Amino acid sequence: MIVPEFDYLTPQTLNEACALLGEYGSRAKVLAGGSDLVVKMKNGLLKPDYIVSLKNLQDLKGIRYEAGTGVIIGARTTHNRVVENEILRERFPSVSAAAGTMAAYQVRNIGTIGGNLVNAVPSADMPPILIALSAKARIVGLSGERLVDLEEFFLGPGKTVLNQDEILAEIIIPDQATTGSSYIKFGLRRAGSLAVAGVASSVMMDGEMAEDVRIVLGAVAPTPLRAREAEAVLRGKKVSQELIEQAGKIAAAESKPITDIRGSAEYRRHLVDVLTRRTLKTAIEKGHV
Amino acid sequence: MSEPAAKKEQYSVIGKSVPKVDAYDKATGRARYTGDLKVPNALVGKILRSPHAHARIISIDTSKAEQLPGVKAVITAKDVPSVMYGISPARYDENIFAVEKVLYVGDKVAAVAAVDEETAVKALNLIDVEYEVLPPVLDPFRAMDPDQPQLHEQYPRNISVEIHQNFGDVDKALADAYHVRTDTFSGTRAAHVPMEPHAALSKWEGGKLTITCSTQSPHYFQYHIARVFGLKMGDVRVLKSYVGGGFGGKLEPSGAEYVSAALAMKTGRPVKLVFDRWEVFVHHRGRHPQHITLTTGVTKEGKLLGCHARFIIDGGAYTSLGIASAYYAGAMLPLIYMFDHYRFDGFRVHTNLPSCGAQRGHGAPQPRFAFESQLDMIAKDLGMDSIDIRLVNARKPDTMTPNEFKVNSCAFTEAIQKARRISGWDEKKGKLASGKGIGIGCGGFISGNGYPIYRTRLPHAGAVIKVSEQGDIATLYTGAVDIGQGSDTVLAQMAAEAMGIDFEDIKLVTADTETTPHDFGAYASRQTLMSGWAVKEAGEEVRRQVLELAAEMLEANVEDMNVDRRVIYVKGSPEKSIPFERVANEFFITRGPLVGRGKYAPPKLGGSFKGAPVGTSPAYSFAAQISQVETDEETGQVMVTDVWDVHDCGQVINPTLLHAQVEGALFMGMGEAMYEAMVFDANGKPLNANLGDYRIPTALDVPQVVSDLVDSYEPAGPWGVKEVGEGATLPTMGSYANAIYDAIGIRIYDMPLTPEKVWRAIEQRKRQEREAAEKK
Ligand SMILES: Cc1cc2nc3c(=O)[nH]c(=O)nc-3n(C[C@H](O)[C@H](O)[C@H](O)COP(=O)(O)OP(=O)(O)OC[C@H]3O[C@@H](n4cnc5c(N)ncnc54)[C@H](O)[C@@H]3O)c2cc1C
Repeated sequence: MIVPEFDYLTPQTLNEACALLGEYGSRAKVLAGGSDLVVKMKNGLLKPDYIVSLKNLQDLKGIRYEAGTGVIIGARTTHNRVVENEILRERFPSVSAAAGTMAAYQVRNIGTIGGNLVNAVPSADMPPILIALSAKARIVGLSGERLVDLEEFFLGPGKTVLNQDEILAEIIIPDQATTGSSYIKFGLRRAGSLAVAGVASSVMMDGEMAEDVRIVLGAVAPTPLRAREAEAVLRGKKVSQELIEQAGKIAAAESKPITDIRGSAEYRRHLVDVLTRRTLKTAIEKGHV
Repeated sequence: MSEPAAKKEQYSVIGKSVPKVDAYDKATGRARYTGDLKVPNALVGKILRSPHAHARIISIDTSKAEQLPGVKAVITAKDVPSVMYGISPARYDENIFAVEKVLYVGDKVAAVAAVDEETAVKALNLIDVEYEVLPPVLDPFRAMDPDQPQLHEQYPRNISVEIHQNFGDVDKALADAYHVRTDTFSGTRAAHVPMEPHAALSKWEGGKLTITCSTQSPHYFQYHIARVFGLKMGDVRVLKSYVGGGFGGKLEPSGAEYVSAALAMKTGRPVKLVFDRWEVFVHHRGRHPQHITLTTGVTKEGKLLGCHARFIIDGGAYTSLGIASAYYAGAMLPLIYMFDHYRFDGFRVHTNLPSCGAQRGHGAPQPRFAFESQLDMIAKDLGMDSIDIRLVNARKPDTMTPNEFKVNSCAFTEAIQKARRISGWDEKKGKLASGKGIGIGCGGFISGNGYPIYRTRLPHAGAVIKVSEQGDIATLYTGAVDIGQGSDTVLAQMAAEAMGIDFEDIKLVTADTETTPHDFGAYASRQTLMSGWAVKEAGEEVRRQVLELAAEMLEANVEDMNVDRRVIYVKGSPEKSIPFERVANEFFITRGPLVGRGKYAPPKLGGSFKGAPVGTSPAYSFAAQISQVETDEETGQVMVTDVWDVHDCGQVINPTLLHAQVEGALFMGMGEAMYEAMVFDANGKPLNANLGDYRIPTALDVPQVVSDLVDSYEPAGPWGVKEVGEGATLPTMGSYANAIYDAIGIRIYDMPLTPEKVWRAIEQRKRQEREAAEKK
């Protein structure tokens, strides 16, 4: 439970930060809220020689709306800001609600949305809903910046598309009319528990028709997983209880859960079924205008 | 039994929710726990623990660690006394460091003292231990098989404790019964999870060892530490700073004290040693997982006739307090319902897992869960209401249990009836909407143990009160141990009441083997009753001396004198009065120090059969708990929405603290019922020894609690008090399990009631229903 020694660096600009990361390579680690990083360091799982703190990069903080683009969330925005933010509550209340399922109040005061994404654990609560809403990551590195679909962002547990010199700057949730969305986390207590399974759904409605559907499963595969076959059940169809039930079953079959101390693979698969149905229902109701 | 209401109103200090004496320090963070203490020149101690559940130590090479700059000592078994320790003399089976074999993941192998924690941790990594890994014993059911490896030579077939107790004629009672059921239940290895980890700061100066530590009993620590190091008890001083919870786990030395003391003796410098959270978990000494089979017979009317209880108890690596836990498991079963025929057969077995010991409710909560569940099943078989069957059997005052526990006050029937009323039971039972349910569980517990843990003629508690020379304050010296439950506050209230002065006038010196009189400490729910008696006696001795002198000063008869809230007056003529402090001051001037002394030893209690002392107590508490739940039948998730707890705990000294104890105990019971279990991999490595994966309920998870009382007065307690701290843990598991049954018709026999388990049971029921339908 001792944090190993390291040099603490506090770049003033994003460029400077990328330069430091480029220079020190795998010996450096970015620090946002530290609620993942410091825990790993204390447990001896990580021993970075350099900590590159983002604390002076004010641009990475905050939530704003840009017409034509959507809602833009700075990577350093803490979960409690996401929970409380008026723009999000109005436009994407499911994102605020998902942030509210994270950890506990105290951890939500320090943990950031960027840290949650880059940390890339399979049970993370923010990726499913953001992927369901087709969010994009704005990534900045030494050679400039790029936009990546969040869906393409995750490569495996703890692995993302970020290069060593890159920093996740912003998350962009594009405008999407008549779309309802919902995330349900199934945890084993009401605070401070990781998802046994989590499902996010978004449905773009056209009258009674589900014009587009995205179902994203968390904690049941090495990365957040789109249940594409389940989506197809509903896409372009008139929604019905039968189709929702069918989608739940198919999503369960698409999931690739493991058994661990939080739950068996069988139970997780069952939860995917239940949560898919429940999130779809809510999304459809909210998508109706 | 109830004390006349008129008399109750005469109390000036007790019966009132005065704020806790340490509330301000704790709320502001000023309170210093052992780990916070800073002393000049202190070293940091760290323990190297075994990575294997069962292994032979081939060699230990400490040379590299010793060479690391900043390391002041590295010690192993060869550097410390080889005296075995434990808590029950018949089974001292632990060494400070493993001598030949390690018996669980976390067993102590070596330790270092270094200038700071970082160096100490580095040094641990430089100690080379060569092990020969042995196959571990992990399954308590197989532990007794002859083909299993042996943990301890002195315990053949890994049997730690074997118990057979037989009262009345159970076979005949069961043969005569209208209905007999046999069911098997099991509990988990739940942990205490004190917020403050075990910690000790040892100093060795001039042949005297002083240990400040996180303890529930400075006395037992002093006794064992002196014995192990071959010191006079007088040369070992054990005291505490603030303690952040014990729950039974800090009743016996944890090793933090032995090791820090050994390091302090070797280096001549103070050594502080604080467990990390993983160490707290693997050291354990918490709940034993018990496997309980009950065969119970009743009449057609639901009257209990007899019960045969069989236990297999997983004790883990060492005996610890487990011998007592094993006896408690069976001894407490016949307490709350009346039946004459009872047999109890138990085996506590050793496994290569963390050692189990005492935890709130000591041995009794899991059997109580089993009994409360089975009683509900019997009621259903008979077509009876769950409360009615409890009323038929509820213990009555002034009765004796089959195992010879004498019960004086007992308002159990009233508690059940009140719980029924305030919960709205009759409108709810069997009538709530689908997925919702209501259930009852009951409990009862000792108010202090009839006999101490080792044989001694010492009284159980002592107290001294010294009034200041000016008479403005009085200092209470008591060995009682406040571990967060509030005993300092309650005992100060009692002292003030006994003397006739105000609560604010009391200063406290507590829980220090050198400056305070002996007391066995905070366990077995003993202090309010036992330490309370000693305090009352000491306070009354002060009062008597003051009134005698006041009578002289006022030229009145001493029998006519009274004192209340610092005013001494002549009864019937209140104008003849004098302030307490004037008399106390005069006392010091003319007669010397104004001191009161008190002690308490319980009367001889219990029968003469083997194990008879375990469970004896001067008084017993009783409680009924009703829980209401909502279940999500698709996911198996259960939410407990409301709990009504009604307690018979005698006269109440501080209502707020009492209700806080009920809530805390209930939430602890809830954890064990719904979330908590230590789990291990196939090699005995703990998988959830951290606060993220070992889940205790948070403030968001706990239900709305109504904590209520019934009027009760216990003749064996000072001012009529009984216990509350542990007893409220007992009913919870059963009441939850019964509420879930009411909600969805699912009976779960093993704890905890996790969503997955509930879901599986629902699925199984659905399958059975489908099969039954197909047959038709
Ligand atoms: C008690 C507790 C409970 C928790 N409960 C949950 C939960 O319920 N659900 C859940 O999903 N998570 C949970 N977490 C995990 C954690 O709190 C979240 O993942 C949090 O969002 C991490 O954010 P952070 O700012 O603290 O990240 P940090 O720890 O600072 O960083 C995490 C990782 O991301 C990298 N990083 C951070 N920001 C950037 C960036 N802008 N660009 C590039 N790399 C970056 C870091 O280098 C590091 O590798 C919990 C953690 C704790 C301690």
